[in-house]
Amino acid sequence: MAEEIRAEMVANVMSVVVQDGDTVHDGDSLFVLESMKMEIPVLTEVNGKVDRIVVNEGDVVQEGDLLALLE
Amino acid sequence: MTALATRPDSQQTEQDPRDPELRLAQLFDPDSMTPLHPRDASGVYAVQGRIDGATVIAYCTDGTKMGGAMGTEGCRHIVEAIDTAVRRRCPVIGLWHSGGARLAEGVEALDAVGQVFAAMIRASGKVPQISVVLGPAAGGAAYGPALTDVVIMAPTGRVFVTGPDVVRSVTGEEIDQDGLGGAEAHGKKSGVVHVVAADEPDAYRRARHLTGLFARPGLFDLHSVQTEQDLRALLPETARRAYDVKPVIRGILDTDTDEASDFQEFQAKWAPNVVTGLGRLGGRTVGVIANNPLRKGGCLDSLSAEKAARFVRMCDSFGIPLLVMVDVPGYLPGVGQEWGGVVRRGAKLLHAFGEAVVPRVTLVTRKSYGGAYIAMNARSLGATTVFAWPEAEVAVMGAKAAVGILHRKALAAAPDDEREALQDKLAEEHQRVAGGVDRAKSIGVVDEVIEPSQTRRRIAEALAAAPAGCGAHGNIPL
Repeated sequence: MAEEIRAEMVANVMSVVVQDGDTVHDGDSLFVLESMKMEIPVLTEVNGKVDRIVVNEGDVVQEGDLLALLE
Repeated sequence: MTALATRPDSQQTEQDPRDPELRLAQLFDPDSMTPLHPRDASGVYAVQGRIDGATVIAYCTDGTKMGGAMGTEGCRHIVEAIDTAVRRRCPVIGLWHSGGARLAEGVEALDAVGQVFAAMIRASGKVPQISVVLGPAAGGAAYGPALTDVVIMAPTGRVFVTGPDVVRSVTGEEIDQDGLGGAEAHGKKSGVVHVVAADEPDAYRRARHLTGLFARPGLFDLHSVQTEQDLRALLPETARRAYDVKPVIRGILDTDTDEASDFQEFQAKWAPNVVTGLGRLGGRTVGVIANNPLRKGGCLDSLSAEKAARFVRMCDSFGIPLLVMVDVPGYLPGVGQEWGGVVRRGAKLLHAFGEAVVPRVTLVTRKSYGGAYIAMNARSLGATTVFAWPEAEVAVMGAKAAVGILHRKALAAAPDDEREALQDKLAEEHQRVAGGVDRAKSIGVVDEVIEPSQTRRRIAEALAAAPAGCGAHGNIPL
């Protein structure tokens, strides 16, 4: 089943750390978001492969927005 | 009355694993159980026994009889067990495997389940109540655990008010029991469960560990906290960078002894931007509340404030001293937060700290801004001692953001290529006058700037020196 990675809070996408097709493990950082003058990593809690990244650097994301799909 | 306690290994092959005697035997020290009543068909078995030598009362719903359904007799046993624990001033543990009230007994069963709730509420804040959910805990049996102080769930545990069949027939939603009320649902989504166990034996192990923390709180041994470790090295160089606060918590608490002193986190995956849990410092049980910058930058929000508030009140009611670790950029802004009750729920945290009479020491590791500064056990709320690490910032907001508002006109009037430099210069000035830890210290809201390497010792000394207290209130499930 696809695992949805969503934003925890309103933020700017500072950097996209992974690419489509990358293998990721529990605890890996997928994105770095910028909010409240803080650089906040978005971590995966599952092992899997990056299926699709749906945001770009510089995007503004709202709480709950989809950032990527893992498979 | 003969002792009915049997060692599980002698009869394991013949007994149903749901047998309450078998389950209770795994919770207690070997051969320490004495029944509180003869075994009967009530669907509940209650005993007194010892955990690491401490007296503990426990009851277990009997999953082998009508799925552990609660009838009048069984409920009476639970009520007596809880009242006995209050009289003997010892913890009471419930092992839950119950489909809810016995339908055949009708409204009498509902009345009996209500009496169980009333007993739990009478005992709230007087003796620690721990629930271990081993199977279904449905309907009335769901609110039993929820009224107690700590809920531990085994992977086979299921907590819900109405099961998947009723959900489907009323709302059309398709979900199985695990999805509706399992460890993922309550460990992460609802926050009902405080501790998710790896399996049933792990659930008993964690119940024993927590019982030890409550029943044998110990005394501060200041000789054991002299060890020095540069805890500042666990934080990133850049102040903007997020990090996991849990290694810092472990660095302050005892770790060098046995598993009994391990930090037990509460509600680890729910509202994870604040970390709450029990551990030991210098041998004494303490409660820890810490912002976790790794999640939501460590911002407080409505759920994390509520999570921390209940934890503070639980510790206060059992006389457990508190360590509050602060690295907070503020309250999380947003329409969702405001409409979601960040004011109402944030007020719970202010109230919880403000009324707490246990020793409570605050440590500002990096920054403490705005309303969240107050909510994280500020001096004004009655903190016993407020420590800060060097270079910590205590302010209404970050200096640069502050001058952006205070000097908005001057900055707007400045040429584009000079604006940034001007803002930095103003920020530096502002920092000197209004921010920074020195200013906080001079007005007495920070008592002392301490070396990170001496954190363990200084916190233990401050907690040990304060008069012990115990809040005269229950632990309402906020």
